[in-house]
Amino acid sequence: MKETTNRVDETSSVGRFTSKLGTMAEAFEMYQAEGRSLNVSFENDRLSEIRQGQNSGVSIRAVKNGKIGFSYSSKPDELDYVANAAIRMAPYGKLYDYEFAGEAVSPHTRPYDPGCAELNPDKLVAICNHVKETVKAVDAEALVDCSVGGGVGKARIVTSNGQDCLEQESSFSFFVSLRLAEEGNFVQNYRFGMANEVIPEDKILEEARDAAEEFQIARRNAPFAKGKYPVLLAPSALGDILMPIGVSVNGTTIEKKTSRFVESLGEKLFDERLTLVDDPFHQDGPGGGLYDGEGVPTQKRAFIEKGMLNGFMHTLSTAKRCGHQPTGNAQRSVSSQPSPGMHNLVMAGGNDPLSELMARAQGGLYISQLLGTFTSNFLAGQVSGNISLGFLVDGGKRVGRVKNCALNVNTFDLLKSAIIGISKEREWVGGRYLPWLLVDGVQISAR
Amino acid sequence: MKEHLTELAKRAGADYCEIRVEDSRQTAIAFQGKDLENVQESHMFGGNVRACVNGCWGFVTFNDLRTLDNRVHEAVRNARAAAAANMEKTVLAPVEPVQDVVKLDLKSDPRKVSLEDKINLFGGYNERMLGHDGVTSTNLRYFDTYTHLYFANSEGTWLDREAMDMGMGGSAVARVNGTTARGSASEGGRADFDAFRGMEKRFDKAAQDAVESARAEVVEGGSYTVICDPHLAGVFVHEAFGHLSEGDNVAEDKRMQEVLKLGRRFGESYLNIWDTGLDHGLRGYLPYDDEGVPTQKTWLIREGELVGRLHSRETAGRMGEKPTGNARALNYRFPPIPRMRNTCIGNGPHGSFEDLIKDVKLGIYAIDSAGGQTNGELFTFTAGQAFMIRDGKVAERIRDVTIGGNVFDTLKNITGIAGDFHVQDGAGGCGKGGQMPLPVSHGSPHIRIKDVVIGGADFVIRGS
Repeated sequence: MKETTNRVDETSSVGRFTSKLGTMAEAFEMYQAEGRSLNVSFENDRLSEIRQGQNSGVSIRAVKNGKIGFSYSSKPDELDYVANAAIRMAPYGKLYDYEFAGEAVSPHTRPYDPGCAELNPDKLVAICNHVKETVKAVDAEALVDCSVGGGVGKARIVTSNGQDCLEQESSFSFFVSLRLAEEGNFVQNYRFGMANEVIPEDKILEEARDAAEEFQIARRNAPFAKGKYPVLLAPSALGDILMPIGVSVNGTTIEKKTSRFVESLGEKLFDERLTLVDDPFHQDGPGGGLYDGEGVPTQKRAFIEKGMLNGFMHTLSTAKRCGHQPTGNAQRSVSSQPSPGMHNLVMAGGNDPLSELMARAQGGLYISQLLGTFTSNFLAGQVSGNISLGFLVDGGKRVGRVKNCALNVNTFDLLKSAIIGISKEREWVGGRYLPWLLVDGVQISAR
Repeated sequence: MKEHLTELAKRAGADYCEIRVEDSRQTAIAFQGKDLENVQESHMFGGNVRACVNGCWGFVTFNDLRTLDNRVHEAVRNARAAAAANMEKTVLAPVEPVQDVVKLDLKSDPRKVSLEDKINLFGGYNERMLGHDGVTSTNLRYFDTYTHLYFANSEGTWLDREAMDMGMGGSAVARVNGTTARGSASEGGRADFDAFRGMEKRFDKAAQDAVESARAEVVEGGSYTVICDPHLAGVFVHEAFGHLSEGDNVAEDKRMQEVLKLGRRFGESYLNIWDTGLDHGLRGYLPYDDEGVPTQKTWLIREGELVGRLHSRETAGRMGEKPTGNARALNYRFPPIPRMRNTCIGNGPHGSFEDLIKDVKLGIYAIDSAGGQTNGELFTFTAGQAFMIRDGKVAERIRDVTIGGNVFDTLKNITGIAGDFHVQDGAGGCGKGGQMPLPVSHGSPHIRIKDVVIGGADFVIRGS
């Protein structure tokens, strides 16, 4: 469910305030958000906490003498403070060389689950207990952490250009972690899920069982030496490998000309099997919305299509400065100014069954998790990190964990010329819906 | 406020209850390229109630103080609901209740510096970086946050505490023949805005580093002897050992208690590691933690042996050890958990940097940090700048040096510790349990580590 008012009720408190703000500033944008949540946590096999959160805030961007000022407060009744502070900041702010969002209604719909507003702590505790039992049935020695919860919120954006959109959001998430510390061998595994509706318990237990089974394999170490190997990247690791592309299509790096893709629009940069779509309306995607953080209606867009660079992710500001059309990719919290970001990253599946890719990865690695890749030089395409959970593949199966080794690849090269196959199967990992990817000749460093 | 919060906490009807109220104001400035991208003044007000019954916690946040009575009720109700399925007792290590008022003790106050002056100062640094040939863009961010914290618990502790936190980090981005690289400079602290002045040369160097790194080759992956500068060694000790020392990793994990048994040898006799909240002026300074426990210097490794860990009252209570003042929360939206303050490797007996490098035939000199991560046993961090070491001397520059390792092996593999201890604060922070960025500090002298795994390219560095 969504509401789009498109006209501020001038008799309401917001209406009276924005009318006043309209007399103080040449243009303005007000962003109000509030939410509440309930979360249950198990730590070390036992129930540890029930957490209830409430949050609220208001921020304003106000234009004075052609420049934008910004301010924020977590107290929703501090509208006057925020407005005055924003106007006080304006002389130092960015030039208002674009227009705040105008009146526009999204033609799309997005699921809202009222069940997320009525979560029952007893039921969440029961789910955590069942997760623990599921894991212990596979590996009685694993120590289990689990958290389950969700909440609802709403965000409203009112601009002096006539936009007034109010969007309600619901969210639900779970996190399951298993660990075992033994002398010389710490084993950990985890799964998490996010959705905009209550995730069925069966799905959570299936993920917990899958994590436990992988954990069991990880308890056996496999001998391994440095060298070049075929590598099968699970969706949880593929997300890290795709980071340089996300950074390089971001409107900020395009505007500042630090992206390698600045002059590459329309060029074939990658293997033609690579298609990457930003889909804010995906039924199962947790990251979407009808409007972005500036009140611009969002769009489903392929930014890489059959290997070709199709477009970038923009805020109103980066779009204007690059001479492009806005794309509805402004992301923000109530306490921060908008910047370009992805909603849900969806990668097209391939033609290969996962089982076949496993067979073709013979003698190579299956990588589930990488550690510390966020420190890599993404602008140069580099992705480096410790392989925190990787397996040797033999006979189409993961036969043991490889440890103390690191991966360093250049995504731009890897996805251009090293793809062997892409799985038909795909999986959600946070806000990304990704397949398994088999690549060739990856250099693995090891002691 | 004092009487109201204290009474509510005492009357809550829980084994333990605490109330935190936080009122903070922040100034933030950000440049991107030639643009002043963000200037903002913000106000954050909120609080939380944390109640414990039978070892289970109820935690509730709020933005409106007028609803506090209801929030206390909800926190206790949640703790009781959780405790219904739990036969344990609440075990919090005992501490003496304290009542204290902590005022700011500033050498120079950022609130007395006008916004114009701050913009001119940091804009000047930004322009210097942009003025270097080859620099295509920059990022520079500054913040100062003043916080007034009120804390009351059911045992009679009351704190009325002011705190200041400042940070600034700037980086130059250079692009040469399609290769992009960064160079950076940063500063931080809690007491002295003047520390952010006079950094022109450091930003010139950041710009030069970016340009020269973009021209450098990627290191060949493999196993090397690595010398880390004090900043990177500080990040190393934070990632590689500090997190492992946090009590919540150990308190309820019997196997981990065996692995991390006090007295176990982790390194050579010249390895000493501590964590302290006592260093006034550093970002890791903390007179009281977020459970109202006075801070201290906590030894973790002395002469190579494990001698301590970092505790909240709960983790200390569960292990029968003493609280160390390490329970910290990012802000009122989060409960306190065991976190580091200022984590350091102490000076060693191996002289200077020159003494460490002279016997290294082939290795890597890794400087500054672009960040890191650990999962307890394994860690990864990336050097800000790096050079090959050949025949005992610093040789050609290399780029994209990512250091991965196993905590236990790596500490044992520290073969040299110089005597040039240094702490360099910055604008970043530590992340754990969704609480990021928590202000921390870290320091070290230069250290030398053998057999370090470096993720790198698959071509061979010339002359090796």
